[in-house]
Amino acid sequence: MPIKLMAVSRRRPGLTRADYFRYIEHYHGTVARLERFKIDRYIQNHVIDGAFGVLSDTDHKNKVADRDGVVELYFSEFRDMIATLEPQGVTQSRANQDGKFFADEPNNIILMAEEVELPVPNPRPKFNPGLGEPGVGAVKVMQFIMRKPEVFPQDFHRLWRRAHDEALAASPYAQEMFRRIVASQRSRVNDNDAAARAHFRMVDPPVYDLEVSFWLDSMENVGAFRQYLEAIQASPLDFADWSQSFFLYTRPVRIIDDAPPKD
Amino acid sequence: MTEQTVIPDLSKPEWRAQKTYSQNLADSVIKAMLPPLTPEEEARPFAKYYYEDIKQPDPAHYALMDEPMDPARAYGPEEINRLLDLEYLEKHEVEIGWCNLPNGAGYIANKNFYPGVTADMIDWWFAWHPLEDLRYRIWYPPQHAGIMLSPLDRARILDPSVPNREKNWGVVHNVTENCDCGFENIDIAFRSPADMGFDMEKFERVAATFAGGMGWAVAVNKCDDSITAPAIMCHIFYDVPGGLLHRTRFWMGYRFTVEGKPELCLPPGVSVPAANVQGLARHNVKEFTRFGDFLPRIYKEFGHSMYC
Repeated sequence: MPIKLMAVSRRRPGLTRADYFRYIEHYHGTVARLERFKIDRYIQNHVIDGAFGVLSDTDHKNKVADRDGVVELYFSEFRDMIATLEPQGVTQSRANQDGKFFADEPNNIILMAEEVELPVPNPRPKFNPGLGEPGVGAVKVMQFIMRKPEVFPQDFHRLWRRAHDEALAASPYAQEMFRRIVASQRSRVNDNDAAARAHFRMVDPPVYDLEVSFWLDSMENVGAFRQYLEAIQASPLDFADWSQSFFLYTRPVRIIDDAPPKD
Repeated sequence: MTEQTVIPDLSKPEWRAQKTYSQNLADSVIKAMLPPLTPEEEARPFAKYYYEDIKQPDPAHYALMDEPMDPARAYGPEEINRLLDLEYLEKHEVEIGWCNLPNGAGYIANKNFYPGVTADMIDWWFAWHPLEDLRYRIWYPPQHAGIMLSPLDRARILDPSVPNREKNWGVVHNVTENCDCGFENIDIAFRSPADMGFDMEKFERVAATFAGGMGWAVAVNKCDDSITAPAIMCHIFYDVPGGLLHRTRFWMGYRFTVEGKPELCLPPGVSVPAANVQGLARHNVKEFTRFGDFLPRIYKEFGHSMYC
């Protein structure tokens, strides 16, 4: 299982969202392909919509309450990630120097994580070119969950898994529409994140122990996630700070991916 | 990890010891100062062990950790099953020593013989001691400062339906310990021998019992530039006439991936500092010299239960 570096960013001042998406896909993405170093896979997730905190909050509790893009960089192993973020013989990679043109860098959130694939009751049964990326779906919901500081990390992951299973069991529309679920669990390797901080230039970023991605066929189906969200937030298991958690509806864009298409 | 089925009994110190994660992190700074025992701790029936004279290591044994061994005679955690080849171990391997492997990882080997100790004693001790700070402190008072379990892990340890040998499988011990390089908070995630990568058919024939897993260590006074360092820890025990033989291996700089494979996670060109490898090696000799000395006695008094 590879290790993955996620950066959750806001666009820099002066850019429209269309400017931002065009730049990161077509210019920054090309730079990354030209200077691939040891990146196995690079996915950009362009944010369509999202919500921060919960309805009962009267104001935002998040340190960051708007996000425009999530990049996911996959490496075979940790050493490859360091070799890419701090390439030997190069003062600063082109990709590193390019960040200031599109991202509000001090505001980045990073998460170094390992993926765990979870079962779904109803994976898409057959190829359908009208429903986005083959095998998964056109829309990816990315949920970032903040651990309550008093909860031990090992218990956080166990309690989340119980709450997730119970919420999914209580959400028939979500059972029908979730095509794929992947949990990205924060790695302790992330505790030495000086290289990643230097690369993405964030300042005092909030720490998220878990991101969960849900793939659906299209934006018309995201109500399935809302059904699931209400169920998991109602769980009596006390593990998450939902006021500091958030979710994003995104459009995944493959920048580097050598894997053949599914289906 | 089993579901929590045991109801906490707050009349018992084993349950009252529970702290939150954030509280335990804050407390670890105080624990690292090795404060005197509290009145409640003084009243515990095993407090007398805290005040014992600590048996010192055999000087010849301790001296074997003075200089690094030949790295060509060390190996990585991918070859953990070499610990099941007794003939090769006894004839060809360096059984006591430390070094840096060519890839920069730290390697430690140690061997102890414990007269009168049994596998049941080992299984009981590793389940019993994480329930209270004082239980961990009496093991090696100069360098063991405290220990904590999460609520779910505590429930598993205190679940009478889980055999002592299996209680720690999947459990994390959050310890505060000085491995000769200053006090650190070390989160040790224990694993079953199968999850360590042992060939279980051979393990069942050769080994008496096992305790080990993977730890993440960071200075108690953590700052932004502190390194959080991984290590794989293996304690394997063998029945021999008159007692138990114990072999230790540490692989510093290695972790287990979520798939359970050992992976070196040092940046390219970086080695675990030799002082840290030697420090842990020396600490290991000291704490397990004490261990072999007091385990039969404390087991005789308290080994019938997790409670006391």
